[in-house]
Amino acid sequence: MSGMPLLEVEDLHVTFRTASGPVHAVDGVSFTMKPGSSLGVVGESGSGKSVTARALLRLFAITDDVQISGAVHFDGQDLLRIDERRLRDVRGGQIGMIFQDPLTSLNPLMAVGEQIAESLRLHRGMSRSEAAAEAVELLARVGIADPEQRATELPSSFSGGMRQRVMISLAIACRPRLLIADEPTTALDVTVQAEILLLLDELRRSEGMALMLITHDFGVVAATCDDVQVMYAGKLVEKASMAHLFDRANHPYTEGLLRLVPRFEDTHTGRLHPIPGQPPITGGGGSSCAFAPRCSYAVDRCRSEVPPEVAVGPQHLSACWLATDRAKDTTEAGQPWRRAQ
Amino acid sequence: MSVLEVDDVVVEFDTDGGRITAVDGVSLHLATGETLGLVGESGCGKSTLARAIMQLVPMQRGSVRLEDTDLGSLSRRELRRMRHRIQMVFQDPRGSLDPRMNVSTLIGEPLRVHGIGDRASRAKAVAEAMELVGLPAAVADRLPSELSGGQQQRVGIARAIVTDPAVLVCDEPVSALDVSIQAQIINVLDELRDELSVAMLFIAHDLSVVRHLSDRVAVMYLGQIVETGTASEVFGEPRHPYTHGLISSVPRADAESAARLQTARRLVLGELPSLLDPPSGCRYRTRCPYATAQCAEAEPPPEPVGRADGLHTVKCHHWRTIVSAAPEPQESATSQELAI
Repeated sequence: MSGMPLLEVEDLHVTFRTASGPVHAVDGVSFTMKPGSSLGVVGESGSGKSVTARALLRLFAITDDVQISGAVHFDGQDLLRIDERRLRDVRGGQIGMIFQDPLTSLNPLMAVGEQIAESLRLHRGMSRSEAAAEAVELLARVGIADPEQRATELPSSFSGGMRQRVMISLAIACRPRLLIADEPTTALDVTVQAEILLLLDELRRSEGMALMLITHDFGVVAATCDDVQVMYAGKLVEKASMAHLFDRANHPYTEGLLRLVPRFEDTHTGRLHPIPGQPPITGGGGSSCAFAPRCSYAVDRCRSEVPPEVAVGPQHLSACWLATDRAKDTTEAGQPWRRAQ
Repeated sequence: MSVLEVDDVVVEFDTDGGRITAVDGVSLHLATGETLGLVGESGCGKSTLARAIMQLVPMQRGSVRLEDTDLGSLSRRELRRMRHRIQMVFQDPRGSLDPRMNVSTLIGEPLRVHGIGDRASRAKAVAEAMELVGLPAAVADRLPSELSGGQQQRVGIARAIVTDPAVLVCDEPVSALDVSIQAQIINVLDELRDELSVAMLFIAHDLSVVRHLSDRVAVMYLGQIVETGTASEVFGEPRHPYTHGLISSVPRADAESAARLQTARRLVLGELPSLLDPPSGCRYRTRCPYATAQCAEAEPPPEPVGRADGLHTVKCHHWRTIVSAAPEPQESATSQELAI
C-alpha cells in the first residue's frame, strides 16, 4: 500500500424518514479510493449504491427528510462537515458527476458551450473568452465532431450518446480528482455504451482522475474498473479487485448477481437462476444478515447476527458467516456460477 | 412449415423532416415452435416491423402471411377474427393493462373480445394461463396497481397466450424490469416455448438475452436485415462487420472486456446516419472500416454463407474477404494492436 487515499469514507449512514417509517438506505459503509483508481459499485435497484454516491456530496432533494452520519474525508476535509459554500466548490470542481439521464443535469435553454464555459469561469476563474475556447477544446476531447459549431447548440439537438459526451465534458471541465458516474450508459445502445465506457477509461488515465462507476452490470465494471464493491440493503457485502472476483466471487449475493443474467458467451444453457424474493424496502439496520431471507446457503447464525467483513484473499473482503468456508470451496471446486448448469 | 411468412415488407412514415423508410424490404419466416430473435439499435426499425406484422401500421409494400392467410388482404372484420392467432407482449406491462380491471378479467379479456368459448371454458383457460406464467390463483382478484412489476409482466404474457396463438410477438418484454425480475420473466418465456408450440418473434436490444432465448436471429440496421442465421452461426461466427461490432460491444464480465470494446470501436465508426438521408448502396458503409467504392454504388444482396441450406445469409459485398474471426480472446489481442 502506498500513497494517501483520495477519498476515505468512514461508517457512512444515510437514513430517510418516510411516512411508513425510517429507511436505512446506507447502513455503515466504509471504503477508500486512491488517486487515479477506478471502483465499480454494483447492486440491484434499492441496494443503496446511488444513495452512497449522492451522500458524498450531500446531493439530496430539499423535500428529502434525510439524516447522514459518519465521515467523508476528501482532500483533507470532511465533506459531511464543511459549509454549503465550500461544498459547492467541491461539487463540479474537485468532484464531477454524471448520471443516467444527461437531460436532467443540463440546462435545456442554454447552448452547451456556454454551460461548460460558465462552470470554467466559476470554478477555474477563467475569463469569458478563455472559457469559451476551453469549452470547445473539451467538446473535442470527448469526441464531438465539429466542436465550434456544436458548442453553440442546445442539448436537445444532440443524440443520447452525444448528450452523454457533453455531460462528461462538463463533468471533467474543472479537472476533477474524482468522477462519479451513476449508471452513465444504462439508457444507451450497446455500440454507444462501448464508446462512452472507453472514453471514461481513457479520460481517467489521461487526466489522472479517480473513477467511481455505479452500475448493475458486472460487464460494465469489468471494462472500466480495477476494483469492485457489491452492495446489498445499504451494506457493502463484498469488496475485491475485479480480476480476482471473476474467479473467486465469495458472497452468495455476488454469486446470485453473476448467475442471474444470461452471459453472452453461454450458448443456451437451460433456465436462469433468479434470486428469490426482493431486497428489503426498509434498507439495512437489522440484527441479522439482510440477505439471509433470499440466501440458499443461510444457516441459523445468519438469521440472528450481522456478519462482519472477513478477509478471504488479498484485498478481498466478504461479509458472510460462511465466507471462509466458501473461499476454500471456490478455490477447490471452481466457481459454482461458472460450472456448467 | 412456416407459421409466419413475412415477405419484402416496406413501411414508410412522414416525419417533420420528410418521408422516411423505417422498414426497407424485410423478409423473414417463423416455423412452429421456433424463436427468432430480432436485434438492432434504437431506430433500426425493429419495433416498426413488429407493428407492421401485427397490422398496426400500414405497409407500403410486401405481405405478412399467418398460417397461410395473407393478413393484408383481409377486411377489418376478418382480420379481427385472425388476431387471436398472433398476439403481442409489450415492454411496459403497467401501461398496457387497464388499471380498473382485476387480473382474471384482464387475462380473460382477449377471449371475450374474440368471442372464444363460453363462460366456463374461459374461466378454465384463464386459470391455465395463470398457471403457465407462474401467477398464483390468489392474485386473480387483484388490480394491476397491487402487483409487482414482475407480476404485471406475467399478466401481460398470460393475456397474450390465453387465446392459444400460433405466434407471439414480444417487443422488449424485459428491458423495463430490474435485473432479478428480468431473469424470472425470461424463464417464463423459456418455459412457454417448451409447454406450448408457439412461435416467438423476440425483439430486444440485449444480445445476451436474445442469444439465450433464440433458435435463429436477424440483425437489423437502418430498416434492413443485414445478417440472419442460427443464433450460434450469427453470434459465434458473425460475417457482417456490424454484427461483429454489436457483439464486441456487449460488456462481459471477464478480463478481455476492455479489449473487446476496442474491437467494437474499430468496427462501428461514427454516428448513425439519419433515415431522412440514408446512404446509397450498402446502408452500413458510412460506419464500416472495410467500405469501398463498390459499397456506395450497389446495394449488396443477401448472400448465403457456408452451408448450402441458405439459412445463414449476409448483406455485405466483402464478407468473403473480411477476416471475421470468432469474437474471442485471440481476436481481441490483434484488435488491441490495431487500435494503438
